[in-house]
Amino acid sequence: MTGNVEEQELKDRLSLIESMIAEGRRTTESWAWTFVFWGVAYYVAILWTAVYHWPWAWLVTMAGAWVVCMMIIQKKKKSPPEHRPGTTMGRAIFSIWMAMGISLSLLLPALGFSGRFDQHVFVAVVAAMLGVANGASGMIIRWKAQIASAAVWWIAAVLACFGSEDQCTAVFLVAIFLCQIVFGIYGMIEEARMRRLHEQRQDESHA
Amino acid sequence: MPELPELNPVVHGKLRLALLSLLSGVEEAEFTWLRAKTASTDGNLGAQLGKLEEAGYVTVEKKFVQRKPQTLYRMTEAGRQALTEYVQALKQLLGRAMSG
Repeated sequence: MTGNVEEQELKDRLSLIESMIAEGRRTTESWAWTFVFWGVAYYVAILWTAVYHWPWAWLVTMAGAWVVCMMIIQKKKKSPPEHRPGTTMGRAIFSIWMAMGISLSLLLPALGFSGRFDQHVFVAVVAAMLGVANGASGMIIRWKAQIASAAVWWIAAVLACFGSEDQCTAVFLVAIFLCQIVFGIYGMIEEARMRRLHEQRQDESHA
Repeated sequence: MPELPELNPVVHGKLRLALLSLLSGVEEAEFTWLRAKTASTDGNLGAQLGKLEEAGYVTVEKKFVQRKPQTLYRMTEAGRQALTEYVQALKQLLGRAMSG
């Protein structure tokens, strides 16, 4: 009898360790909105450039979007449900996107100032960089949908090297729609589903 | 016959074990987050964290963020080692209990 009780206690301890480690790693953060946000920002920049032919449209839109995005993230961090500790995995993913942002913000203006900028190079570079960031993030968190999104960006990067400028722009617009808008909305739905599941589990464990 | 391993009494306490497990999955955690995850009281949580700190398994950092006090806990290498050894001992004991 005592043996059974002790065995059960040991099993309980083991299951406590497993559940607490999982609880610590479980994320309630929401990032999918950033895909939709940046997708809209890309469309604004494209439209601005097409209508007014202003060479600084991309730089100004991206800088403005960056400031607004950071303000929203800071605001969300302060609200209690988002206030959770960071994980190594979270930092790794954030670092990938940050490094990609820095690379693009240095390379694209440099191409512009050197006179080597053209539509094909621009779309190919941006699509390849987004493919790297999405691919690496998707592989880290083992999310097939994000790896598929990376594959679309890589295909767009290759296609951008061929055809006319209009075709190149069309490829970019389609890739933004699929990988930023559609994927972002899908991600938001998934995050909401995970949050509901998490709340359900918490209610069950507190009951 | 191999000797049965002993369970580290500092790690074995239910709340302390929950705290070490939680801290093993994150880089650092606030007191309030740990309290919410373990559903414990301020007094009990503070006392157990104190014991873990005394054993060198966690470190504490107190700071002010936008004029609000914040107490952050991090797991040390010794804490990680103690938890790993505890899990190994636990598995060994369970293996014995199941086969015996």
